Parts: sequence; structure tokens; C-alpha cells
Amino acid sequence: MAEVLGTFEQAVLLEVLRLRDEAYGRAILKAVQERLERELAAGAVHATLERLEGKGLLSSRLGPGTDIRAGRARRFYRVQPAGIRALNDARRTFNNIWRGVKWPVTALESL
Amino acid sequence: MKTPQSDARPPRWAEAILRMLLRPHDRETVSGDLLEEYRDTIVPTRGRAADLWYIRQVAWYLLRASWMWGTLMGAALVIRYLLDTLVPPADYKIRATVLSWTLLGVCVLAGFVTTWRTRSMRAGVLASSTAATLGALVSIVGTAMMLAVWHDPATLVEWQRSGGVEEALIDVPLKVVAFGIAMGIAGAALGKGTSRVTSRG
Repeated sequence: MAEVLGTFEQAVLLEVLRLRDEAYGRAILKAVQERLERELAAGAVHATLERLEGKGLLSSRLGPGTDIRAGRARRFYRVQPAGIRALNDARRTFNNIWRGVKWPVTALESL
Repeated sequence: MKTPQSDARPPRWAEAILRMLLRPHDRETVSGDLLEEYRDTIVPTRGRAADLWYIRQVAWYLLRASWMWGTLMGAALVIRYLLDTLVPPADYKIRATVLSWTLLGVCVLAGFVTTWRTRSMRAGVLASSTAATLGALVSIVGTAMMLAVWHDPATLVEWQRSGGVEEALIDVPLKVVAFGIAMGIAGAALGKGTSRVTSRG
């Protein structure tokens, strides 16, 4: 069975997928903030990336820095097959939970 | 072309603390991400308040390294006071000894784990001292809440027997912080020594 993902983990993994070759820490932070429409602590995103990499759902490689970051290296992330499986499982569970319910939920008539 | 914000620098002390708290694996990349966000987005939109944003980000890393230990210490202190209030013993010595060793263990562990993770002794001492400060704050709040609930004369006499309200609200929290720094240094030294031995192997 694949990893069970929390909502925030799903958001981070999906942004890594969407950003493709441009998925490094700061770009992921900005993308997740825009998607969730709220400001996040950079540490929360970095901690999630570290955890997902530890679980084998992401891999990373170092890339060159730029002037604006004082030449400091960037860590680029890529979703691994286990990450894809975990995302598909999460979506399947979500769909099962909502099956037969009209959205937005108002009252019993939604069923 | 260079813009003024591309040369902007966050407070040096905050950047030093951030780098200290990061694993060697993340030191360049994570501090680079924060610097890029600070220069590219935060300084242009928030101006002078950008430094506050940066300090808040660093505080997140510091709390991440210390909140668990601080909560454990605070819980140990509050449980001790709760037991002393509800089940007063004939002799407080055993409970005092158990509490002292628990706090000692938590402070040493906080210093050890953080140093092991970051390879920085200063980070270990900082995490342990922050944990002890959090523990002291939890203990003060917990003690004040207990006093608000149980303040009948019999309970206050028991409080006096176990050291008094001043000891619980002032003396013990101050001692816990001093203890956290001293034991954090010991834990950090252990962590540094262990990481040197294992990296050689």
C-alpha cells in the first residue's frame, strides 16, 4: 500500500509535479502559497520536502545558484514513482469519500 | 541589472542563527531560498518590515528544534505541582529527585539531538535553552491556572510545605532556564563527539 498523504503533502507533491524542471524550494513555496491562497512559513514547506524525500516519494539534486541568492545552490526536486502512486491513492480515497454527495453541501438534500 | 533590493541583506544575526539550525545538507539551499524570497518578494512589497518577516521565518526553525522538548519540560513541572497539590506526600524529596533527573535528561537530549542533526554545538545549546525557556513559561502558566482553581487554605498550606508559590512561579522557572543552558552544553558536547566518531567510521 502506498503512503497515506496529508493535504499539505499533496499540495507540495502536486506543485513539484506542475513545476517540472523548475521545482526548487523557493519556487515550490510560492506555488503552494498561491494555490492555498495564504502565506506559509518557508520552514513548513522545507520540512515537508525533507519528509517526502525521506519517505522516498521525492528525489533531489543540487543546481547552480543565482546572484539574488548570493550564489547559494538550489535543490531541485522530482516526484518518484512511489510519489505518483501515493497521489493517485489520495485522489481515489478523496473521490470515494465524496461519492454520491452534491457539492457544495447544504443539508440532507445534498445526498 | 542590479536593483536595490537585490543587495538587501536580512539581519546578520538572524541569518547566522538560521544557518546554525539547518542540517549541513540544507545549509546553502534553504538559506538561499529564504534570501531569494526576501530580496525578490518581501523587500519590494514590505520595505523595512521585511526584516521582521525574515526573523519570523528563523523563529519557526528555532521553535521546530525546541517545542517538543519545551513541552515535555513544562508538562513534567506541571504534573509535579499537580501531584503535590492533589496527592501531597510526606516527603517531597523523591518527587524532587525524579523531576530533576527528568529535566536533566530532556535538556541533554535536546542539546544532543539538535547538535547531531545540525553538527553545530551552538545550535544544540540554543535549542536546549529555548526549550527550557518554553518549559519555564508552560510551568508558570500551568501553576497560575492551578492556583486559580485550587486556592483554599488547606491547599495553600500544602503549597507552602512544598516550597511556596514564589518558588513555583519565579525560582524554579529561573533555575530551569539556567539548567537548560548548562545541560544543553553537555548534550551538545556529547552530540558533537558522537557525530565526529560516526563520521570517521
